[in-house]
Amino acid sequence: MTLKTITLTVNDLVETVDVPQNMTLLQMIREKLSLTGTKNGCAAGECGACTVLMNGEPVNSCMVLAAECEGANIVTVEGLAKAGKLSTLQDTIIEAGGVQCGFCTPGMLISATALLKRNPNPTDSEIRSAIVGNLCRCTGYVRIVDAIKMAAK
Amino acid sequence: MINPHPGLPELQYVKPATLQEASKFLADNAGVAKPYSGGTDSFVRLRDGILKLDYLVDIKGLEGTKELSFDPQKGLTIGAAITMNQVARHPDVLKHYPNLAEAAESVASYQLRNRATIIGNICNASPAGDTIGTCMILDGVLKVHGVDGVRAVSLSSFFLAPGRTVLKPGDVVVAVQLPIPPKGLVGTYKKLGRNRIGDLSIVAVAVLGYPTPESASGYRFRIALASVAPVPFESFKAEGVLSGNKITAELIDEAAGATMDSVTPIDDVRGSARYRKQMVKNLTREALTEVWTKLSK
Amino acid sequence: MANAKSKEQVVNPIGASFTRNDVYEKVTGSAVYADDIQFGNKLLYARAKRSPYPHALIKKIDISKAEALPGVKVVVTGKDFPNRIGLYLQDKTIFATDRVRFIGEPVAAVAAISEEVAMKAVELIEVEYEELEAVFDAEFGASDKAPLIHPDLDKYVCPNFIFPKAGTNIANHFKIRKGDVSSAWDKCAYVVERSFKIPHIQHVPIETHIAIAQMDEKGKVTVWASSQSPFAQRNLIAHALHISQSDLRVIAPLVGGGFGSKAGVTMEAIPVALATKCKGWPVKFLLTREEEFYTNFVRQGLTIHVKVGCDKEGNLLALKNMMYWDGGASTEYGTNVTRAGGYSSSGPYDIPNVETDSICVYTNHPIGGAYRGFGMSELHTGLDQAIDELAEKAGVDKVTFLKKNGVAEGDVLVTGMIMHKNGIQECIDNVAKSLKMNEKEKPSSPDRLRGKGIAAMWKAPAMPPNPGSSAWVEMSEDGNVTVGLGGQEIGQGTFTVMAQMAAAALGVPYEKVRIAGPVDTQYSPYEWQTVASRLTWSMGNAVVLAAKDARRQILETVAEAWKESTDDLDIINGVVVSYKSERETSLENIVIYGMPKENNEGWTGGPIVGRGSFMPKYVTNLDAETGQGPRAVVHYTVGCEGLDIEIDKNTGTIYVLKGAASFDVGKAINPALVKAQVEGGFAQGLSSAMFEEIKLVKGVMTNPSFVDYRIATAPDMDFPLDTPFVEVPQDDGPWGARGVGEHPMVPTIAALGNAIYDATGIRLTNPPYSAEKIYLAMLDKGLVK
Repeated sequence: MTLKTITLTVNDLVETVDVPQNMTLLQMIREKLSLTGTKNGCAAGECGACTVLMNGEPVNSCMVLAAECEGANIVTVEGLAKAGKLSTLQDTIIEAGGVQCGFCTPGMLISATALLKRNPNPTDSEIRSAIVGNLCRCTGYVRIVDAIKMAAK
Repeated sequence: MINPHPGLPELQYVKPATLQEASKFLADNAGVAKPYSGGTDSFVRLRDGILKLDYLVDIKGLEGTKELSFDPQKGLTIGAAITMNQVARHPDVLKHYPNLAEAAESVASYQLRNRATIIGNICNASPAGDTIGTCMILDGVLKVHGVDGVRAVSLSSFFLAPGRTVLKPGDVVVAVQLPIPPKGLVGTYKKLGRNRIGDLSIVAVAVLGYPTPESASGYRFRIALASVAPVPFESFKAEGVLSGNKITAELIDEAAGATMDSVTPIDDVRGSARYRKQMVKNLTREALTEVWTKLSK
Repeated sequence: MANAKSKEQVVNPIGASFTRNDVYEKVTGSAVYADDIQFGNKLLYARAKRSPYPHALIKKIDISKAEALPGVKVVVTGKDFPNRIGLYLQDKTIFATDRVRFIGEPVAAVAAISEEVAMKAVELIEVEYEELEAVFDAEFGASDKAPLIHPDLDKYVCPNFIFPKAGTNIANHFKIRKGDVSSAWDKCAYVVERSFKIPHIQHVPIETHIAIAQMDEKGKVTVWASSQSPFAQRNLIAHALHISQSDLRVIAPLVGGGFGSKAGVTMEAIPVALATKCKGWPVKFLLTREEEFYTNFVRQGLTIHVKVGCDKEGNLLALKNMMYWDGGASTEYGTNVTRAGGYSSSGPYDIPNVETDSICVYTNHPIGGAYRGFGMSELHTGLDQAIDELAEKAGVDKVTFLKKNGVAEGDVLVTGMIMHKNGIQECIDNVAKSLKMNEKEKPSSPDRLRGKGIAAMWKAPAMPPNPGSSAWVEMSEDGNVTVGLGGQEIGQGTFTVMAQMAAAALGVPYEKVRIAGPVDTQYSPYEWQTVASRLTWSMGNAVVLAAKDARRQILETVAEAWKESTDDLDIINGVVVSYKSERETSLENIVIYGMPKENNEGWTGGPIVGRGSFMPKYVTNLDAETGQGPRAVVHYTVGCEGLDIEIDKNTGTIYVLKGAASFDVGKAINPALVKAQVEGGFAQGLSSAMFEEIKLVKGVMTNPSFVDYRIATAPDMDFPLDTPFVEVPQDDGPWGARGVGEHPMVPTIAALGNAIYDATGIRLTNPPYSAEKIYLAMLDKGLVK
């Protein structure tokens, strides 16, 4: 199978990558760019562990072909902290205690970051709707929702 | 036994430059090539091995697929690359077709709706497709580009069976066009899943109503049902009940009962036929009551 | 007194809600899970060939076409790995050998240069089967009409507390005979008899199972696995491969959720088997989500027939339990689930006459394993709904009924063990108060019904009598402390809690303590398994002993150098102080280089390394016929949960208005982590109560994906949850602590079932209590039209 060469921006760095044509954005991020913070939980667009920002909007990176990412701007969990300073949400999820096993955390942070960008003062119900596609099996979502509320303030 | 591929099986990603090129490629590779826009259904079925393809033909850059526009004469055009979220938050959709925004927003999760498209939902032809019913009762017409050029296909004659439509090899659905909604239109989408939100529907009901002198009741209602028939289904029987008489709570009950009598759902992993029948009735009643309350204000 | 560090305000590390010590990595994406480890381009990918039949003889396997496929490195089948393994009952081989016993059972595996090639190779493996009659029901399986699934059961090795019955499908029959049940019924004023069927469910860690294995040229094997049991895996896999335990090294990075699924050995053995045939090549095996659902451990199903009776005042007099556990194709772990369900079968109630038969049955279903609080959720789902019904019959309000019968210090339990001090009364009170259980409240709309339910619970760590823990404590030049341990951080926060305990026992601030991770069987001290809510208690004891050992060494060093008695010395805030001479010296001055003695008499001390080892020594076996023995378990954690709900009359949908959960944790070392465990466990329990079921049709799981195996999402958990805890200290727990990791999901199904009953008058017996079940039951009862 022929490889396809694409150039895209990932966490503010321009990357040129040769990708197999059946490779998903998730696989490219993890395997080609070694950004392993983005997690694979189902490869079916259901669990949200692989959520990244693509051109400013969250997507399930397992549901995107790498080959179609020419020119795309991707932000992964590794791109949330700037110059060693955690983002507000990263701070509040620590403070609220919204992390347990941590496997859903990267996708959760991306979804929540996107939520607060489009809706800086979400209601409880808006917060829960925004993360309905991010499954967490540890926390019961209690402290994750708390963290998003804290960051919204 | 399902034993899916960990990732996608081997395939080629094709990005044609024109609709003509796309149609030709799809026709030349009938059965092993498929138009690709959001991929949210195709990816899952490719992994499962239910769908086997050599080519995914990306249509997102093609002419007309990125259109989302409202024309006061012609109505709304939604291109094949337009995502559920784009529809759900578009000011003209919210103003003129709020019921469509509601249906689009009920699909899966926010991040999935950034990939999933209305056209994909329609072409996938699932009996559970959330936006199909609403598009049907808004009299949606598909703009289809085939090897012989462009043609219009009404949604009312588009579906054949679960997952099967009238589309032929080489066809690319470029857009769906929804005419100007009738004056005074009120609509809603009632969806029952296993989870509070985000699930596929066990049953869903799309209802709209508007005043019209052509009907004895003074109103016309349209009722589309999901997950209760092999294809998305408009209940003319229930609509008929509501056209001939003065609208009352009893008549709404009767219409809701008629939806139940007009469907033959199946038992599946999401729900039993018995439950589905009951829910069609209850959800229709709830939807009609809500629409009627707004209409009669 | 140049240094006043010892006088600085010190936060007592015990009882403080410190931030988790693994959290920075987890929020920045730098935390390393097994699939994140980079192996370079020599990495091979494994896939398994799986049985499409629930029960069949393997007539022939042809791997020649698969082997010939370019890119395939190795193909293995069961004939290369005939040794049986299993945590309790050794009834399992890595691959099926002569017969397959469930759909999805591995019969062969491939390692290839890519997943695509491995998948193609799997399709090229040809297996001929002869289908056999299968068993899909535990009660039928236990009967003499059922075909035998393990004809060699008599040859299997098992510990002396498991009782398989050769010539049947019964892998374990655990019995309790306490008092005289048959004559007790006559004394009962009220009796309730009910049957419940609890379905198979799956753990659903967001990280699926993964293991990478590599064998070096000398035959030493390294395994990197997402694991709750690196040491058990070392032992069992070495046994299966006929290699020495010390030649097998398991490295276990952070775990993306376990809940029991990653305990013992399951799929990890497959990449190891492949690695032994391609020395030098790392082989990775990552389960797909679909495989995770039905090819690995599930929670076994249970059919339970409960008969329970009380006197006129509502005092429980007699209980009879008949439990048939659907153990699946292998019961290597499940036999102990059955045992736990048996020896705790009275629940946290004082009942003088109890007869229990807890029977583990082989079926041709997925393999039952450990699942968070195993045995107890299933038991309580039946028992606590029957008790709810009995209370109503007796005309005693439910809170009073639970409290009246709640187990108390000195009570003789069903096994003959004497109950220890516990806080069940306070737990019940907390829940009753939080939910205003004594008030019948109105629903928010005429379209809804409202009800409240309450259920108590207990659970002991379910394990062999002698599971050990060990730890070491060492220090670096900066005075920081490193704790070596073998228990796993699976999200529960054990690394944080262990650091708090080490800090407190040693006398240093919490921030000075690091955990030596990842757990690596080559360097880390032994830990039996990260299961059973046992780490806070057992590993905690080992860590405290190690820290105290290090402290003793430090104080002896200083005492010798200063010519003082250790009795006059203390370590406060990382500084050794003398109450006698008022001298001080920081730990960094001592812990590596020792100290010079006064008057140039040479040196004392040296690198500090403390050791600690803990193993319970008092647990006894139980009589095979009566289940009686001096001490069945180490201790019980008790608790109670309740729910205030509304039910939509149009759909049957449940809306939770409020939840409450209260557990006696002995001592909350980190209260925020305790509450987080309770919140998460409650959600998992409620998810299982409302949504979850592995739908099996003739052995096929019909919903093996998130599309149709639904779990609770954030909008489903849209209600306040009150989690006050109780602290009645455990006599042999560190600062009195005992575990609470599993308990919060144990009573939730029963609490919900009781709330549904309160709202509708309908007793649902078969969870999950879906909207559909509730609606159709209301329809049948005429509550809705």
